[in-house]
Amino acid sequence: MIEVRELTKNYGPHKAIDRLSFSVKKGEVVGFLGPNGAGKSTTMKIITGYMAPSSGSVMVAGYDVFENPIEVKEKIGYLPEFPPVYGDMFVRDYLKFVANLKKVPRDQIQSNVDRAIEKTNLKGVADRLIQNLSKGFRQRVGIAQAIVSNPEILILDEPTVGLDPKQVSEIRNLIQELAGHHTIILSTHILSEVQATCQRIIIINNGRIVAEDTLAGLSQRMQGGYHIHVKVKRPSDQVLSMVKNIVGVVGVSKGQELGAIEIDATNMECFEKISAAIVNEGVGLTEFRANNLNLEDIFIKLTSDSSQGARA
Amino acid sequence: MRGICTIAWRDFRALTFNSLFFILAGICAFIWTVWYGTFLKDFIKKSQQMMMMQQHDMNLHQVFSMHISTVNLILLFIIPAITMKLFSEEKRANTMDLLLTSPINATQIVLGKFIAGTAAAWVLVGVSFMYPLVTSFYGEVSWGPLFSTYVGLMLLVASYVAIGMFASSLTSSVFLAVIIGVLFNLIFWFVGAGAEIAEDPSWVAVFEHLSLGEHFFKNFAKGIVKITSIVFFLSVIGLNCFLTQRVVESNRWR
Repeated sequence: MIEVRELTKNYGPHKAIDRLSFSVKKGEVVGFLGPNGAGKSTTMKIITGYMAPSSGSVMVAGYDVFENPIEVKEKIGYLPEFPPVYGDMFVRDYLKFVANLKKVPRDQIQSNVDRAIEKTNLKGVADRLIQNLSKGFRQRVGIAQAIVSNPEILILDEPTVGLDPKQVSEIRNLIQELAGHHTIILSTHILSEVQATCQRIIIINNGRIVAEDTLAGLSQRMQGGYHIHVKVKRPSDQVLSMVKNIVGVVGVSKGQELGAIEIDATNMECFEKISAAIVNEGVGLTEFRANNLNLEDIFIKLTSDSSQGARA
Repeated sequence: MRGICTIAWRDFRALTFNSLFFILAGICAFIWTVWYGTFLKDFIKKSQQMMMMQQHDMNLHQVFSMHISTVNLILLFIIPAITMKLFSEEKRANTMDLLLTSPINATQIVLGKFIAGTAAAWVLVGVSFMYPLVTSFYGEVSWGPLFSTYVGLMLLVASYVAIGMFASSLTSSVFLAVIIGVLFNLIFWFVGAGAEIAEDPSWVAVFEHLSLGEHFFKNFAKGIVKITSIVFFLSVIGLNCFLTQRVVESNRWR
């Protein structure tokens, strides 16, 4: 559905994005993850045809964004970083205006507007001026304008910024609901958000893709895929060295609390051996907790690694 | 076409249905009323003198001519204050993002906005027409020259709108947009002053042809509709729309 090839954008001497390539299949929900200034918004702006790249190409549904911008823009609903709302318009009038702008057939405008209002829970404020709405409501109006034309592709730049926790979960539900019918790219730096909504994750840093995989795939790909937290009654150095020698264990260290041991392991098979070794030693095992490396760990590891790489 | 209409209708409502527009219209009406009253009084005084001297070459159109020059003078400053919102406001509110990612091109955006701005400005022209209209109930009015004057005024005002729109596209500050707009308008007026300074007759002709005032006051306001003057106004409008279109398009490349 979306093919991005060798995309580069320079702002003067600064490279905002550097030879970015990826593709998104129809119906997929892809999360764009990266620290501030990584190039997420720039990439999205280029895909929507808002901005021209310095080099590279973007194909959306078989059309080149720069040769057939009108065809591409008809298929895309876009929520920019700041919701593009007119303060002096009523919510309903604004959505009608956007629907007209996006060339929704006239007889469908009313139903599309109603649907967008319903899905974003804007019913209570539909007849109010946008300038009198709170930030969270404006953000929701922004989302409503992105979905009002019922586009095949949704590009959402930080859709949950400024919303309260209840609204955030509503928007997540909405995205999951839309997932089947629309191809969605969303950017965020909130990790739990991608974990909750995205099938595939693209992590970018300093304008380059540092990882692109499913959530499960990403965790697996990382060395030391599991983290084990162990607590014993009578800690001894011998236990540490014994655990260190078990196949599959890549790192052992003393935890901050008394008797805590932190272990990094690559596979689940060694869990049994670790627990057996500790029990046999008779140090009094009181706690054994194994965690998947979470996205946050992966994210921090990847983005800090590549920034070191860029400096070198 | 639908894109142009959508933008034109939204912008027309945004330009006219707000307090600023009503305040500006109020200012216009106030100043015009004060001046029109004095012009009429002067006219009556003079025509009474003329009557006593048995001469009958007074014509209400002299009052209208003076009225039109005040209308022009005020609109020169007021119209940039109306058109300032066309692009500056969009940039400030980030709604430009919406327009630029909608399935319409820059030309359609500019044309839609130009139509909206012109329609809003013509509302003020309509307000200024009330004065001759009311006068016509009480005196003999020669409609021909009045009609050509208003055709010219509408074209002139449309030129101000195009110039103001271009000024607005250059900046995201509405105040700056007004100042640039007024400045550009004044430049188009004072080009005519070059005709008085220049010595070479061919340069005088060039300056005269480039001045909005020459075309408006020497032709339309005197009841003369010249193709060259119409073409001149249309080319001022066209040039400014084209420049605006370039500026909007250039947003993509920054």
